[in-house]
Amino acid sequence: MSYSQLSLKSGFPRATLANGIGRYIGQLQRVTLKFCKNHGASRGIRDFIEYDLINYAKENPGVVVYVKPRRHRGPVIKAEYLNGQTHWICCRKFSREDIIKYMELVRTQSFDGSTLRLRKFWHTEFPSIQGPWTPFTFRDPKLNITEFPNAELGKCIKTEPTATEEIIELFKKQQIEEKSIAQLEE
Amino acid sequence: MYSIKTCIKSIIEFHKLKSISQISQRHIKRHIRPTLIELTKRKRKLKETFSNPRNEYLEWNWNAELFAFNSRLTEKFDLELLKQAFTHRSYIINETEKQKQVGIENPILDLVDNTEFIIEGEQIVPLIIENYLSHALPLAPQECIYALKNYLLSTEILAKTSSCIGVKDLILSMERHPTEETLAKTFYALISALNRSVNLEHASLFVRDILISLLVEKDLTEIWCVEDPISILNDILSRENKELAEPRIIAQTGINTLLSVYQIAVYSNKKFLGSGIGETIEEAKNMAALNTLHKMFGLLDSSKPIRCNLKIDDSGSKNLPLTEWRSQNA
Repeated sequence: MSYSQLSLKSGFPRATLANGIGRYIGQLQRVTLKFCKNHGASRGIRDFIEYDLINYAKENPGVVVYVKPRRHRGPVIKAEYLNGQTHWICCRKFSREDIIKYMELVRTQSFDGSTLRLRKFWHTEFPSIQGPWTPFTFRDPKLNITEFPNAELGKCIKTEPTATEEIIELFKKQQIEEKSIAQLEE
Repeated sequence: MYSIKTCIKSIIEFHKLKSISQISQRHIKRHIRPTLIELTKRKRKLKETFSNPRNEYLEWNWNAELFAFNSRLTEKFDLELLKQAFTHRSYIINETEKQKQVGIENPILDLVDNTEFIIEGEQIVPLIIENYLSHALPLAPQECIYALKNYLLSTEILAKTSSCIGVKDLILSMERHPTEETLAKTFYALISALNRSVNLEHASLFVRDILISLLVEKDLTEIWCVEDPISILNDILSRENKELAEPRIIAQTGINTLLSVYQIAVYSNKKFLGSGIGETIEEAKNMAALNTLHKMFGLLDSSKPIRCNLKIDDSGSKNLPLTEWRSQNA
C-alpha cells in the first residue's frame, strides 16, 4: 500500500488483548453467508455451502456460521471480529475456490486488513531499553580515567596546512628544482 | 462530396446532442442541503446510537454462540453455568414484567441470574491476581502489587477485556447495549462459573492468560511510581545497615543555558547504585534515586518483562510493604 492513498486510515500491526502472549484466541467471531437460492451470481457460494461448509464449521468450532438465503439479492460474506468490527465482502460471480480463499482470509485476520495502511510491519511498546538519548549515552569510557588538562586531547585540530607548513613545502620544492638545474649544468 | 460533408457534420452534431442528453442533472437539487443539515442536527441531538444490538438480528442462535465462545477460548465451561453467568438480574425482572403486561399472572422463566456468581468472582479474581503478581514480581513491594491489581480490576480494563473475548453480544441484560459496569460484572461472573465448572487453579490460568498478560505491553512504572524516592531509598539503605545515599554529579553540559543536562549517580559505601539524568540538579537526583529503586524492585525498562507462563500452586509468598522492604528479605 503506497503513501499516495492518503484517505486510507493508517496504523501499526496490533494484537487485541495481547493475543498470543497468554493464549491464542481466534479473532473471528461469526460469519454470515448471504446468498440467493436460484440466481447465477450465487453459484459459488451455493457450491461452498454444499461441499465445504460442514468441514469449515467442524474445523473451526470457535466460529459461528450463519447461512441466510435471500431471494434475488447478491451474495455476501459478512464477518464479525472480536474487536467489534465487521467485514463485508461482496461475492458476486465468485467461484467455489474464491469463496474458500475468502473464508480462510476472514478466519485468519483480526480486522479488515485492506482498510488499514501499515506504517511499519512491526510495532513495539518499548522502543528503547536503554532510555532516552543524552549527551553522555555514547561517551568514550576512556574519558573516565583521563586526567585533565590533557596534552593530546587539548591539541588544536588542524584540517588545512598552516602558513608555516606551506612555506616549508615551497622551500623544499625550490631546493629540489635548484638541485636538478645544477645537475643539468654539470 | 457535398453529401459526405453533410454526413460527417450530422454525425458530429449527433454526438454533441448525445453528450448533452447524458447530463441529466447539472446541479444538486436545492432541497438536499437543508434536509441533510437537519438530519445531522437531529442525529447529534440523539445520545443513543442507532445500531441494533447483534442479538436482536434474525440470524442469531444463542446456544451456538455459547458453544463457540467456549471453544474459541479453549475453555471447559459447563454450558448451564455459562448461561447463568451471562444472565443478569435486570433481564429476569424485565422479562417477568413483560409477561405480566401481556396478561400472564404467574410468569415462569427457567433462568437463574448471576448475582451469586458476581459476588463470588469479586472475591476470587483479586486473590488470583495478587497471588500471581507476587510470584511474577518477587522483588516488587506490596504497594506496587496492589497498584497493578487495582489497575487490572478497574472497570475500564475489565470491560475492555470482556468485550474483546466476545462477551458483549451474549449478555442477557435490561440494557440494549451493555454498559462498562455490566461488562465488568460479567467478567467476574465468568471466572466464578469457570471456578465451579473445573476448579480454582484452572480459573486462575484463565485470568493469567486473558487479564494479567495485558501488563506485558505496559510500562509498569507508569502505573505505579514512588513519590519521594530519595527518602525511601535512604530508609531502605539504613535498614540494610549501609551508608545513606550520596548523590554525585558525574557529567554535566550546557550549564546556564536553556538545554542544561546533569547526570547524577547515587553511591553508598563508595559503591555505585544507579544514575539519572535531568535538566536541573534536583530533578537528576530524584531520577537517580528512582532508577536505583526500580533496579532493586526489578521494574527497569531493561529488566525482564512479567512472565505469563508461570504455574502457581501455593499462595505462600507475600511481598513486603515499602516500610519493611530490604533486598535480603525480598
